[in-house]
Formats: sequence, structure tokens, C-alpha cells
Amino acid sequence: MRLTTRKWLDRMFSFSAYSAIGLMMFVLVLVIGPIFVKGFGAYLFQGTIDYRRMMLNQFSRGDEQALEAEWMEVKQERKVIYTALSAFEKELDALPPVRRKELKPCYKEVKEAVAILLGPEPGAPLPALPRRIYGQTRWDRAQLKAKNVLFAETWDYSGNEGKKVMKPREPLFEGTALAAIFPIVRTDLKKLMRPRLTFYPQFLTDKAIDAHFFGGIGAEVMGTIYLALGAMLIAVPLGVIAAIYFQEYAKEGHVLSFLRSCVNTLAGVPSVVFGLFGLAFFINTLRVSPGKSVLAGALTLALLVLPTVIRASEEAIAAVPRTYKEAALALGAGKWWTILTVMLPAALPGILTGIVISMGRAAGETAPIIFTAAVSVGPLVLPSEVFTTSTPALSWNLYNICTEHEAVDEIRHVQYGMAATLVLIVLALNALAIIIRAKVSRKLKG
Amino acid sequence: MKQAETFILSEREQRKRKIFASLGQSLLFAVTSVAALAVLAIIYFIARDALPFFNGLRVWDFFFSTAWYPTATPPKFGAGAIFAGSLIVTLTAVALAVPPGILAAVCLSDLLPFNVRQIVKPVIEMLAAIPSVVYGFFALVVLAPFMQDFCGASSGVNALNAAMILAIMALPTIVSVSEDALQAAGRELREGSYALGATRAETLLKVVIPSAISGICSAILLGIMRALGETMVVWMASGNAAQIPSPIYNLLKPVRTLTATIAGDMGEADQMTGSAHYHVLFAMGLCLLLVSFLCNLAGEWIVNRQRKRLRGG
Repeated sequence: MRLTTRKWLDRMFSFSAYSAIGLMMFVLVLVIGPIFVKGFGAYLFQGTIDYRRMMLNQFSRGDEQALEAEWMEVKQERKVIYTALSAFEKELDALPPVRRKELKPCYKEVKEAVAILLGPEPGAPLPALPRRIYGQTRWDRAQLKAKNVLFAETWDYSGNEGKKVMKPREPLFEGTALAAIFPIVRTDLKKLMRPRLTFYPQFLTDKAIDAHFFGGIGAEVMGTIYLALGAMLIAVPLGVIAAIYFQEYAKEGHVLSFLRSCVNTLAGVPSVVFGLFGLAFFINTLRVSPGKSVLAGALTLALLVLPTVIRASEEAIAAVPRTYKEAALALGAGKWWTILTVMLPAALPGILTGIVISMGRAAGETAPIIFTAAVSVGPLVLPSEVFTTSTPALSWNLYNICTEHEAVDEIRHVQYGMAATLVLIVLALNALAIIIRAKVSRKLKG
Repeated sequence: MKQAETFILSEREQRKRKIFASLGQSLLFAVTSVAALAVLAIIYFIARDALPFFNGLRVWDFFFSTAWYPTATPPKFGAGAIFAGSLIVTLTAVALAVPPGILAAVCLSDLLPFNVRQIVKPVIEMLAAIPSVVYGFFALVVLAPFMQDFCGASSGVNALNAAMILAIMALPTIVSVSEDALQAAGRELREGSYALGATRAETLLKVVIPSAISGICSAILLGIMRALGETMVVWMASGNAAQIPSPIYNLLKPVRTLTATIAGDMGEADQMTGSAHYHVLFAMGLCLLLVSFLCNLAGEWIVNRQRKRLRGG
């Protein structure tokens, strides 16, 4: 082969290797980017007047008098629409039958769309579901819903595949009383909704209202914390003791290699099998709780993270310089005392790194808690109830509200908010681990 | 004389300490055994609840029939399509992940300067740290509509979608394990090759990678295990249709995997009394467990063989 070809091939190889790294970076940004950007929208968004009314009624937050004054003004603005609607209803009876037949279904759609956009007409009986009591609470949702007032969604089947066509409703109602509402909704939507930049940090701690239509993710966050902490409470003592045994006491032989390959196998068990085991063993055999519970979930997750804890602790203990141990033994300390007062404190940062990373893993796992701990809808679990009750958790409920929820499209912001919160918790724990590790390596160097 | 004596322990004290030491050691051993033997408990309890299904001698149907009607009367548990689904998704994911994974490992071990590597490695760890359900959410909400609009897929949730996300999830494992293997190949090997006039690409492709091949194989095995055992992503992104896609290489068709079936059906199956549906899900769990067990053994075997070969010169 000629030298130039070889050089060219070399360059191509380097380029493809760099681009593989670039690809991974790109994928990371691609996945996390939209989740963070849109997830942020659950905390900071344009809240409408209906949002502020909802907050006052459901959570007693906000300035009641100022809101009352604003609500009066908005009511005046909205009155035009309601008058137009009722005027048109009267007009409808007087229309010739053909025209009436044409307009009536369309009018019903408009009325429904208005009710969804602005909430029920003042004075009308309140609907049972909180989501119908208020108009759109978020400005982005309000703009979307306003489109339903302005346009009729029809399907065009003239091509091979059906295509969605948005047909303006205005021409249809030309010359009727209803025609007045379209320009208002089109241009003066801001006056009707009064959007204002709203910061809602309580999203993290508030309870959910009406299947996550309003409110926050407090119960889920709490459940995730219980499960992750509980799993670590069980896994850390077991894991650290096992690591001490493996590193300091065990003698090479069949027993040791068997135990080691057991730990390796445990690390490779699929997470959903842990869930099955938790169900079959902790719940159906040991009966640690009458059904799903935080305890059963934490036990299952503890098994899942156990190999990671053992490995990290072993590495940390092995990394303690031999001289530490020898100095302690030379001073007359016993073996156990040496481990307890010299080895473990020196290995602590490394062990902590492993613990923190495992905690992130436990917080993010879903499959093991499906059958053992997680429930789709549930109230905040109190610390006294963890042994008996199941809990919502961020990971499971994220699955649940983006697949099984009855109105998946309506609560995208909650889904993104939940995903972003979960990622943030996990990445914060990982960042903490990286910081601990950096400090340790600096200490060992210095 | 009297003072010196106090430093020497009495015989009784010595015996006492010895007993305490051995007691402590056996306590440590007991705790370690509990931790290690958990995996045996897992195998036992999964097998215990799976065996009633195999007692009915429906083994042939289970593996090769594609009639999956668990709630019909009489129920039919032909999981052939589900096994095929798991296989398709896993193999596609690994095929997608291995080339960039090895290239990225090469880049990390041989091309990037130390400082850049210190930044890149945590980023790759971040990719591994993102919870699977978040990847599933991404697949469902971002990737699926994209595939539906731009790739001509009739449904955005299909085998390719799940496989792509699984590839992303398997990448960090493959990269970090292969990178360790490549670094373990040693400096002398590379310098020898350079001294003979080989370019960097030739050195890596013809010398370093072949010598690290066992580590790379175990990286691929770990990647397969990660992809096969993953639940949430395939549940959310693979479409969950228990049928073999036709033709079988059509990745834009929805498929259903073992893990997704276990997760999805356990809610319907009677969890307490143990119906046939409950047992069949445990049978699937047992299959998963056995496959991951075999992968583990294979990985250990490869590593041991390599170690022996190196020791033997």
C-alpha cells in the first residue's frame, strides 16, 4: 500500500473515532436537552388568571383581593363572548332549517371549545372535575385551545393518506352574532387570559390535583426519596461488611471464588427479575407487608444495588495504602480495631462515592418497584406508613402519566417536569460522587 | 518487672480475644454469605413459581407457538413471538452500539489527550446514569413522533425505536469496559508496532484491538445483557404487539419483548393466588435469568482463558 493511502486511512480512522465520541455527546444533549428545557416549563411558565384562581382555591396561595379585582375585569372582557354565544343560540332557532342543520353541530363545538378555554360560564353550575372548573391555567395550553375555537379540525383523504386540515370557522358564521367572538379570541386572547410569568417552585412539593392536571409532584418525590434511602439503609451495611470480609478476611479458595461469582451474577440479573423476586419472596413468602409497600420495594432495590456497593467499597478499601494498616498493627491495635479506626475512615470517601451512585440508580429504577412498591395514584405517604403502604414514585409515575393517563396530551408539562426532576436528582447525586472522587484524588496526591 | 508484666496478656485474656475474633469473623462471613447467596434465593424463588407452568408440559408451545392469548378461555401461552421480539430488539441494539462503542473506546484510550478525557468520561457516565424510564419517555414523546413523520413508519413505537434507545443505553457499558481492555493491552505493544513503522490506525486495528479482544468480547456480552434485561424502554417504545414482524427484518413493525410482557402483564395476572398467567410470567423471568447467567459465565470464561494465555506466554 502506498504511504499516502495509509496516511489517509489513518486519518479516516481517527476521524471516525472522534466522531463516535461526538455522537455520544450529541445523543446526550439530544436526550437531556428537550427534557430539561421543557421540564423547566413546569416550574417557570406563563400562568393565566385561571391559574391564579386555581392556586387560591386549591392551595390558598396568592393575594385574594388583587385577584378578585383582576377577575372582575376579566369577567367583563369575557362577557362579550358569553353574550355572543347566548345571542347566537336565540338566533339559531329563527334560522331556516337547512342553515340551522349546518351551523348547529359547529356551534356546539365552538361552545365546548370556549368552555375548555375559559372554564364554565360564571353563574353556571360547577362541574365535578377540577379540570373543568377552571379555564386553561397555562398560556401555552390556552393558545392551543384557542385554535380549537377558531378552527375546525377536518381530515383530507384526497391523497393516499389522510391529512389534517385546519379549517377556519369564521366564514361559516359570517353575519351571525357568533362572528363577534372570533376576532376577540384571535387577537385579544391575552386580555381574556391575562398571562403572567409565574414561578412555581412548589411543583416539587405540592400534591397532585385531579390526576396531575393541577398541582405538583410532591407525593412522587417523597416516594422516590423513601425508596432510595430505604434501599441504601439496607444495602450499605450489608455491602460494606461484605467488602471488608472479601478484602481483609477471606482466604483464596473455592468458597471465596464461589461467593465472588455469586456477587457477579447478582450484578447481571435483569431488573424486572428483581421485581418478580420481590413479589414472590418478600411479599408472597415472607409477607413483610400485606401487599405492595415501601419496605418491600426498598428491600428489592437494596438487592439490586448491593453488587455496586460491594464493588465500590472493595475498591476503596483496597486503595488504602498498606502502610496505614501496618502502622496501626505495629502500634498494637488488633485487626478489627485497625479496620474500624484506620482502614474504614481512610476508605470512607471511596465508599461514599459508591453509595451516592447506587442511590441514584435506586432512585431511577422502575421495573423492580412495579410489583413491590409503586402505585399509580396515591396520597403522600407518611414516614410512619412506610412498612405497610405502597407509594407513588417519580420513575413509575412518569411511565404511568405518559402512557396510561386518560389525557396524555393535556399534561405534557407535568410529564416533562417529572422527567426533568428525576434526571436532576440522579445527575445531582452523580455530580456529588464525581466531586467526592476529585477531592479524594487530590488528597491522595497532595 | 511488675510493670512489664501488664503488657503481656494473661492466658485467659488471650483466649477470650481469640474467641471474640473468630466470632467476629464468622459473623462477617455470615453477613457476606447472605449478600452473596441472595442470587441463589432469586434463582430458587423464580424457579419455584415458574415450575408449575412447565409441569403442564406446555414447553414446546411456550417456546415455538406464537399464539399468545393469556386471558382467553382456555388461555394460550405461546411465547414464540415474544422470544423473537426480545431477540430482534437486543441484536439490533447491540449491532447499533458495538461499532461506535469500540471506536469511542479507542478514542478515549489512545487519541484524546488526558485533559479532554477527564471531561469526556464523566459525560459518558452521565449517559449511563440517566434512568431507563426517562429514556423511555424520550423514545415515546420525542423519537416516536419523529419516526412517524420522517421515517415512514406506520407507528412511531416499533422495534427500531426501542433498539436505538437500547443502543444508547448499552453504549456507556461497552465503551468503559472496552476502554479498560484497550488500556490493559499496554504501552510496549503499541510502541513496538510504531517502531515497525505502522500508522496509528494500523497499530490499533491490527495489534491493540486483537490483543484486547477478550475484554472487548466481555464488553459486548455486558452490552447484550444490558439490552436484554432492560424493561421500561422496550415497554414504552417497542409497541408491545405479540407478533413476529413480517418480513422478520422489518424493524419498523411493533414487537413485544419478554421484559415488557412481564412488567405489563403482572398487573393483570393474579398476583396472590398464582394463576397460570402468573406462572408463565415467572417462566419468562427464569428464561431471562438463565440467559443472563450464561452470558455471565461466558464472560468469565473468556476473561479466564485470556488470563491463562497471557500467563502461559
